[in-house]
Parts: sequence; C-alpha cells; structure tokens
Amino acid sequence: MNRRDFLKGLVSTSYVVLSGASVLAPLNALAASGAKSKDGWLTTGSHFGAFKMKRKNGVIDQVKPFDLDKYPTDMINGIKGLVYNPSRVRYPMVRLDFLLKGHKSDTTQRGDFRFVRVTWDKALHLLKDSLDEVQTKYGPSGLHAGQTGWRATGQLHSSTSHMQRAIGMHGNFVKKVGDYSTGAGQTILPYILGSTEVYAQGTSWPLILEESNTIILWSNDPYKNLQVGWNAETHESFAYLAQLKEKVKQGKIRVISIDPVVTKTQKYLGCEQLYVNPQTDVALMLGIAHEMVTKKLHDEKFIEGYSLGFDRFLPYLLGESDGVAKTPEWASEITGVSPEIIRDLAKVMTKGRTQMMMGWCIQRQQHGEQPYWMAAVLATMIGQIGLPGGGISYGHHYSSIGVPSSGAAAPGAFPRNLDEDQKPLFDSNDFKGASSTIPVARWIDAIMEPGKTIDANGSKVTYPDIKMMVFSGNNPWNHHQDRNKMKQAFQKLECVVTIDMNWTATCRFSDIVLPACTTFERNDIDVYGSYANRGILAMQKMVEPLFESLSDFEIFTRFAAVMGKEKAYTRGMTEKDWLIKLYDDCKAANAGKFDMPDFESFWKEGYVHFGEGKPWTRHADFRDDPEINPLGTPSGLIEVFSRKIAQFNYDDCPGHPTWMEKTERSHGGPGSDKFPVWMQSCHPDKRLHSQMCESKEYRETYTVQGREPVYLSPVDAKKRGIKDGDLVRVFNDRGQLLAGAVVSDSFPQGVIRIHEGAWYGPVGEDGSKEGGAEIGALCSYGDPNTLTQDIGTSKLAQACSAYTCLVEFDKYQGKVPEVSSFNGPVETQI
Amino acid sequence: MNKEPVSDNAINQARGIVYQLLSSLFAKEVDHQLLHELTSDNAQNFWAQLASEQAFKSDVDTLMSVLNTLKSDKALLELAADYCGLFLVGTKHSASPYASLYLEDAQTGTDDEPTLFGEQHQLMLQFLKQSQLQVQSSFPEPADHLAVILAYAAHLCNSSDETAQLEFIESYLNNWIGNFAAKVTQCDSGQFYSALTRLTQSWIQAEVTGLRAEQ
Repeated sequence: MNRRDFLKGLVSTSYVVLSGASVLAPLNALAASGAKSKDGWLTTGSHFGAFKMKRKNGVIDQVKPFDLDKYPTDMINGIKGLVYNPSRVRYPMVRLDFLLKGHKSDTTQRGDFRFVRVTWDKALHLLKDSLDEVQTKYGPSGLHAGQTGWRATGQLHSSTSHMQRAIGMHGNFVKKVGDYSTGAGQTILPYILGSTEVYAQGTSWPLILEESNTIILWSNDPYKNLQVGWNAETHESFAYLAQLKEKVKQGKIRVISIDPVVTKTQKYLGCEQLYVNPQTDVALMLGIAHEMVTKKLHDEKFIEGYSLGFDRFLPYLLGESDGVAKTPEWASEITGVSPEIIRDLAKVMTKGRTQMMMGWCIQRQQHGEQPYWMAAVLATMIGQIGLPGGGISYGHHYSSIGVPSSGAAAPGAFPRNLDEDQKPLFDSNDFKGASSTIPVARWIDAIMEPGKTIDANGSKVTYPDIKMMVFSGNNPWNHHQDRNKMKQAFQKLECVVTIDMNWTATCRFSDIVLPACTTFERNDIDVYGSYANRGILAMQKMVEPLFESLSDFEIFTRFAAVMGKEKAYTRGMTEKDWLIKLYDDCKAANAGKFDMPDFESFWKEGYVHFGEGKPWTRHADFRDDPEINPLGTPSGLIEVFSRKIAQFNYDDCPGHPTWMEKTERSHGGPGSDKFPVWMQSCHPDKRLHSQMCESKEYRETYTVQGREPVYLSPVDAKKRGIKDGDLVRVFNDRGQLLAGAVVSDSFPQGVIRIHEGAWYGPVGEDGSKEGGAEIGALCSYGDPNTLTQDIGTSKLAQACSAYTCLVEFDKYQGKVPEVSSFNGPVETQI
Repeated sequence: MNKEPVSDNAINQARGIVYQLLSSLFAKEVDHQLLHELTSDNAQNFWAQLASEQAFKSDVDTLMSVLNTLKSDKALLELAADYCGLFLVGTKHSASPYASLYLEDAQTGTDDEPTLFGEQHQLMLQFLKQSQLQVQSSFPEPADHLAVILAYAAHLCNSSDETAQLEFIESYLNNWIGNFAAKVTQCDSGQFYSALTRLTQSWIQAEVTGLRAEQ
C-alpha cells in the first residue's frame, strides 16, 4: 500500500479522541515574559559550604564559592550533578506487591524493586493507613521513626523535624539514642569529663597555635573532615591549619600523627607519623602512662586536685591487680611500636605544652569507649587540661570546632515536637514492656530479636517488636553495618517508608518512596558555620522542585491535612511566614548585641555577618576553680576511675580504662589467620557520608573502573598480584564487594581503606545478574558496610563497631558486573 | 477504500493524531479511562487501519492482545509497574525516555550519561517557545521527554509545512528512536512497551521515508 493511500485510510478512522490532555499547552503570559524565575546569581548553602549559583534558562548553570569562603571544598563541583541526577526520585512510588497486599505483602521481594507510580494523595493516604494499622495492631512499639541522620541543611526544611513532628501527630514511636559517628564517645565521656566532648566547642586555634609545643593528632584527619559541616561550613579552620603547617615547617610546633595510615592532614602539614597496629591504641596509651609513672613524669598535683580515682587505676597500670604490668615492652608487643618510641613519647608529651586531638574513628570499634577514656587519663596525667594549647579535645576535626565563636544566637528551627496543646491521633504510650528508646545502632538486632533484653548504659533495654520504619533524609543502608543481616531483618518488617531526593539503597528496600526536593529547590535559612556561628545565610530557591518532588514542609503539611491536622502542623503559617519568624526570633534574641537588618533586606543581601569571635580555652573555668565550676561528672572532677561505671559491673567496660582484646584484630590478633587484613571505613574525602556519591561527574574524579577506591599497600598488592587500577574483590564471612585498587605508600601492610558512604549496589553473588535482593549478593560498587560487623561497642554504649573488621582480598577474575548503585531500583527476577 | 477526495489537511490531521496517541501512551500509565478509549469500537477500527501497513502489523497486534488482557486492576498495575521500571526510575538499567540519553554522542562512552534537564531539554524549550507552547505543568518532565517531542510533532503536522516537519522529525526523533527502542526491548519485563516503542520507531521511519519522497 502506498503511503498516501494508507494515510487516507487512517483519516477515515482517526476520530479516536483521547480525553487526556496533551502534554503541551499554550505558552502562558507569565512564562513568556520569563518573570517566573529570572536568570542570575543567588546565594545558598549546604554541608559543603556556602556558594553562589547562577540560574540560566530555568536551570542551575554555574556554582561558585561564597566570597567569604577562602578555602572552599571542590565538592561543590558535585552540586549540579546531585540536582539533575538520573537517580532522582521523580514521583511518589509504591512497591507493587505492597500496593496489592499491604502489610501482608511478600517481603522477600523487598529489594526486587518493582514499583508503581501513585499520586501524592494516594501515597499519603497509604502512609496514614499503614500507620493506623501498626498503631492499632501493635501500638507505638511497632513503629520506629527515630533513625535520623545528616539531612540536608536548612533550619526550616530539616527533614528530621518535619518527619518526626508529623508522624508524632499521628502516634508515638520508638526512638534512638546516640549516633553512628560518636556513639561510644558521647556515652563514656559524660562519666569522665562531664560532657559528650565530641560535640563541644574546643580551645580556639589561635591559642593552640600560640601556646602548644606539641600537638598529638590521634587517629585524626582534620584536613579531610573539615571540608563538610553540620550547617553551611565556613572552612575557617583551614586558615589555622595553614598557619600550623608554617609552624611545623619552622620547627615551632611538633605535630605527631598517631595512626596506622599516613593521613591527608599529615601530608598537608608535613608532620611526623607514629605507626600503631590497628585497634591497639589503648595498649599504646597504657605503655605511655606506665612510663610516665615510672619516670615520675606525670603531674601528681593536677591529678590530686582535679581528678578522682587515679589510685584505683594505678594497680592495673602497674600490673598489681592482674599480674600484667603495662610496660612499654608489653605495649610494644601488641602495638608494633618500639619501647624506645613509647618512652620517648611519654617524655615529649610531658615536656612543654601538649594538645591532644582525638579523632572519632577509634571509638567506632569494639570497646570504643576505652581509647577515649584512656586518652582523658593521659591528658590528666600530663596535667594541662584547662590551659590554652594543652589538654585534650575530641572534636577539632568537626564543623569548625576551634574557630572562635561569634557568640551570637543562631536561628531556631521548625519544631520537631508537637506543640504543647496537641495530642497524637493514637495517644498510646504502651510500649508493651519494651523500651521506647534504643541505642542507635541496635535497631537491626531489635527487628531480629524482639523482646530480647540487653544492658545499655546502666539500664536494661528491651527490644521492641518493630513492624514499620519511617526514614527521611537518612540512609541507613549506608551507615549501618552488615548488609546481609540487614536484608534478613528487612524481610521481617511489614512496611518501610523512605522520603529522599535520590534513589538511595534505603529507598530501594522500601515499600513507599516519597520524593523530597533538594535544598536548591526551596527557600530556607541556615547558620553559617556550626560552632563559629559566623552569621546567617539565606538559602534562596534556585529552581522549582523537579518532577513531582516537594519540600519537606510541603510533604508533611499535606500529610497533616490527611490527618485533618494541617493547621496544627503549620500553625497556620506558610513557608515564607516561617522563614520570617525564624529570622525575626533570631533578630530579637540578638537585639542589643548583634545588629540584624529586617528580613527583606537580609534576604536580598543573602547574608548577615556577626563578626569574629574571641579566643577561648576549653575547661579553663574548671581549672580556675573546680569547686565553683565543676565538671558534669558525678564527682565534679575528672573520673580516672568511675564508681558509677564500676557499679554497672560490665565485663566489657570495667571501672577504669582497660586494654581488651577484640573479636577480630589484624597483625596477629584474633581471626587474623583466616582474614589477615584490617579494613578501615572512615569518613570519605570526597563526600559527606553517602551524600554526593550519586553525583556522577564528580564521582568520576576518584573512582577506579567506576568503583569506589580501595586503598592498599604496595606489599599487600604485590603479594596478591594486584596492580594499581585493578578490580579487587574484598570479602569475609559476612559479605563481598568489588572495588578499584589504589596502591599507595600511605598504607601499611595488612591495612586497607574503603571510605564509608559508597552507595550499596548489590548484584548476583557471581556478578552475573542485576538486582541483588538475595543474601550474599556482591556489592558492585564497594560499600564497606557489606563487610563490617554489627555488634555493640560494649554493654555501656552499645554503639557501632564498624572498625572491628577483618577481610581478605584478591584480584577479581569473575564476570565484571555493571555498577547498580546509582540508577534507581533495578528489577530482578527472584 | 474511501473514494472521496481527501485533503492534505485531513491527512496531516490524521498523522497528528497518531503522534498524539503515541505521545499519550508514553506520557503516563494506561488507566481505566485510557484503556476504555484505546479499546473502543472506534479505536479498534483505527488500530486495524494502522495494522494494515505491514511494518506496523505485528506491533499493533501485540498492543491489542495486551490491551485485551487488561481485565483487572492487578493487570493494569502490572503494566504500570512495567511503565515505572522502564520510564520513571534511573537511566542505566531502565529506558528513561529522554532524547539526551540516546543521541549518538551519549552512546559512545559506556559510562558517560548526561544529567537530566540538559542541552536537549533547552533545545526543545526553544522550539516550544517559538511555537507559543510550553510543557503542561501537570507533566513535570524535561522537555526532551519522548511524549513532549511526539506532541510537538503532532503540533507541527497541523501547523507547518512538510519540509519543517521532516527537518524536525529527522533531527529530534529519528536520530535516537532506534537506540531508545533497543533499550526498551532490552529492559522491558512485559511486551506492551517494547511493542509500542517499535511501533513508534517504524512510524517515524515511515514518516521520514514518506516525507522525503514528497520533497
């Protein structure tokens, strides 16, 4: 048939009229004039810093650092890739079998990734129905909405506040205590130094640079970690690190990095390294302490006046209580550090002014409480706590701690809790004998063994029978340990809801997935510099929310409307009303001290500057007068021995700092005959946890054959026939992953590093098929938590122990699978 | 065969309706309403005429046979899940219908996909603006979405000469529809959307051939 005849035939039948509207519409006047979103530069911010963005033709075109940011991180190059990401959650979606069968769905399918699009209205009603069902059938112990994390920045749209306020208006739920970053540290240190310390402002850098003779960076890499902050990061710390580098060069300050690995900071500062076997820091500290006591280098007067219980610790140190003196020789056997070096360290640390700076990694291991406690004891023995440039800190690598604070009041946030006159729809507080709050990292255990009672921080915790989880702006399929165990646990859940902007692995293992827009698609305000509190930053909306994504405020306002509580949720205020309120409240709090213009002027300018702060010394007031300014410990003094902890009678956290062997330890420790290599999974250099991993162009600046790098020593590489750039399979009894080899002199034999935050991308065990709901799947990209161990640090903190992890690795010879992490759910056949 | 003289206008309108129909099927899932319209008596005649062209027959037959099996909510949801897996998530293990992903330069590097709302989106926005059109706010997709491009082709059928139509179809549809069809066929867990995409490809090829012959 010729074309014309065929088309003529079509004419006679082509009065099929579809009632659905065309996807095209006449150009409206507003859009034609371009008035809706004018092109130009706007101000905004993020964990990665503040910056200016240029909008062109309705899309984000360029990103450049904020004028005040003199040390911007190159991570801002990844911002555009975050927004226009192929893995955006574009519409509300529901797992098909859940849509069909609700709470009776086949949960072994979870992870087979067959979803359907639903309307917002349908999705929010499904959420309400699920919450109704759980509250009715199980009560509040059936719901866990307390796994929260690093959300995007912004005081108004903070995803945690919105989710918990809205879900809390529906009913009560299980919450967490602690966090994955510092779980052991923040639990032990209030007993020892009277506060969490990890989240406390530290002695100001100018004083440290002026007064310190020696700085000990213990398992600490500030030059890497200070790139990101809890609020928009100012990066002012980098100016001080630059001065420190100069002082190191001039020989004015000696900096020693105690770490198995040559850190980024060590390379930058050009400072010394003291290698120590992984997980043996407590033994090293004990060896140093022993030498101090033997040579009477310790400050007995300070110990006497400011601490409690040194006399009860001493018999252990000297071996009188257990028959093992913690001599430098004893420590040397365990740590791999020679007795001479240990003796020298004791001398160096007690001569002149010594500032100890602890990183967080060493408390993310079994008995992670101990290195923090023992380090505090060492600092007490040195006797310089409360002096400028002396003592100990646990946070100089975090969120501009050490940058003098402006002292201004920061803007508040959208309320996380219900207003006082409000009650939840389901107001039961009957947790059926289970605990309403559980240690943050124990939720998978709770799902696996509901009703089990464990010890935690002096109390008993009984695991609730969790049936439903709600996550928002949080990716536990990054930060929790042991993926294969997580898969088993998730099969026991009836309903999983995740709200996020991109298809994280947590979204993929969910039943209801709701699209939140990015920070750059909404208006907000933020503190500029968490601990510096340098000013207030306007976060000006760059583009309208993509696809059907919504701001957190809008999502939960709509959900509140489904509950008939919209007005109670928003207090009858719009996004703009809230912005103005948060700003005006802050202005009122700063009245007479810090000038702030009216909201409109601030918004136009994009920024309010509070000025520089004054240098400050941590614990100086305590040192000045410990009776008037006691610490928050039971005795008000530094507790070298804690009666309270001793009374708990924990075998894995006794009354004074103690060296205890780990379940897994390299370099001759338990399990090292089978899996000889220690894997560290520290905070990434090019991401904030798992945030930014999906930004492809930026990710490709560091991946190897498209995989997360595994850093390893030349000796280990040679032994296994691995060359730089090879694909490597890393494995143990818990799982396996693929990563790309980066062979580097910075890493000693028996130590590898894979940064946490690498997106989980399971494929079949032999790499042969997509998906990977099955237990034992291979991670195609290199998520280290495929391999880590899901055990508590001790009965005290019950915190995460990701650093107690042994592995083996070899050159990958199997079929090379495509990376499955970054493109949304992958449907698989089960 | 219709003996009445048929105007060029009517033929262009009929072509436009085919483009519009294809656009609608890529724009959203098949719901009860759409299913009803696609299987009405009128529609059956239309499909039959479309199937009279050998190049379209087997794919139209597949579409018809799938549509005729959609007797329950569950069957519609299964088809919606096929749609979702293909067009609404990711770009790599699915077949998101954005031109930018399938143009030759995007296909050269194995791991080199462009981000969304890129150059092709801007180009289509320019076309739309020139024609005093915009993408419906209820369709919050990049403008290089296949449904938008097909709808614009439908618009051109009724508003511009054949030279302009050919130029657009060659430059904005024919240069990527083959790669797209291959991807859909590879990723589709059902039959409907691979048949629809192949039909779209065949239709565009017939259009290009026909319009070229008329130049």
